[in-house]
Amino acid sequence: MNQNLNDIQLKVKEALIRASTVFSADKKSVLSRAIETEPSPNVRWVLETILENADTAEKTRRPTCDDTGIPHLFLEVGGQNSVTPDILRQIYQGVAEGMQELPCRPMAVKGSDVQRLEQSMGLFDDPAALVPAPIRIQLVEENVLRLHVLMQGGGPEIRGKTYRVFHQHKMSAILDEIVAWAIEGAGLLGCTPCTPAIGIGRTHYEAAALMLEAMIHGRFDQQNAIEQEITERLNQSNIGPLGLKGQTTALATFLRVGPQRASGVRIVCLRLCCCVEPRVASVLL
Amino acid sequence: MEKINIPIVDNLFPSLVIGTRILLFGKIFTGRDAVLPKLVALIENNKLDETGIDLKGAVIFHTAVSPAGVGPTSSNKYDIESTIPALSKAGVKIHLGKGRLSPETIRTLHEYHSIYAVIPPVTALLESKILERRVAAFPEEGMEAFHQLRVEGFPCIVAAAHGKSLYEEGSESP
Repeated sequence: MNQNLNDIQLKVKEALIRASTVFSADKKSVLSRAIETEPSPNVRWVLETILENADTAEKTRRPTCDDTGIPHLFLEVGGQNSVTPDILRQIYQGVAEGMQELPCRPMAVKGSDVQRLEQSMGLFDDPAALVPAPIRIQLVEENVLRLHVLMQGGGPEIRGKTYRVFHQHKMSAILDEIVAWAIEGAGLLGCTPCTPAIGIGRTHYEAAALMLEAMIHGRFDQQNAIEQEITERLNQSNIGPLGLKGQTTALATFLRVGPQRASGVRIVCLRLCCCVEPRVASVLL
Repeated sequence: MEKINIPIVDNLFPSLVIGTRILLFGKIFTGRDAVLPKLVALIENNKLDETGIDLKGAVIFHTAVSPAGVGPTSSNKYDIESTIPALSKAGVKIHLGKGRLSPETIRTLHEYHSIYAVIPPVTALLESKILERRVAAFPEEGMEAFHQLRVEGFPCIVAAAHGKSLYEEGSESP
């Protein structure tokens, strides 16, 4: 194996651990601002505890959450870079090593199709037995080979939704639907404050892929008007951190709008990222 | 913050109103989707005594126990919330998890003098407060086995008690 491929493995491993243990600076800032504005001592305590946990996780390189999630990989390729089978093998090897070193929760389910669905044969002990979701590769203008590693927990999957919206040629029709779904989900999520990640595309696959892009590129300190409106409307729901009421149901909203179909329908994918998400790290390979 | 030692005695309960912040000390059990229905089946078949598990005054934390640590899973998942009545009747005093419970479950908690508390999803912090861990039953479930932890100051907030809940319309977090 040449040095370059070894480097890829190591970089991917470190990216997975960073995604699982580090809150971004913009996320910490928005949490700190929420603590200053919440009137309830209990709600402030919850937010302070979430921040303290983030600091502890970063210092100790321990996971922020015990549901360490399913690895999702998004690879950007541009310029003269290429993706070879060897590079993909090293990426997967880096993911496996990261899951073992962290360690991630060993939650790969054993057995045949039916046995896995019924979870009747138990789980593998090795965290690295967890197979990442299918990798997505995208051509970009930059001269880079850049990997984004996302760790997707189960709670947000339970409260997520990909469905059609009849837009009636009004953005407000789409927004109303998204906000209704988000309020319903946030009340049951438990791990609020959330960050809704939203993709709007032509198909369910495309909407889900755009939602992942929103998680990768979204910034807590850079919000467009639509994102701000969704966040504000969610925060008027009085669900609050851990569902204990309050003004901070959502910290921000991350939205990605893709190409649209000539039709009265839009496919919307909403994922209510929990308070430790988005768990994402990016690395140049 | 009110410090509470486990097992919990009944006379502690009047003070545990919704919104009370508490720190738990002692031995707590853990269980989630896979194992709690099995535990209830043991109770219903009068076989719990054979396991040596005593649920009188107990705390059950809705979590897996893995090398990654512990953290609350959604208590309103069917396989978890549906076990709360039988476990409360069997003596469990605090169900510890996250998420809104149904009004029916909150009424049942009151009937059996049990409460529901939520714990922030702070795995890295909780890890520093776990002194011991062991499998208490159903080892075949791996990380979802019924575990016993000895903890020192697990932080939580009472979310449902005495027939009231922080999730009701009109209630505010104190």
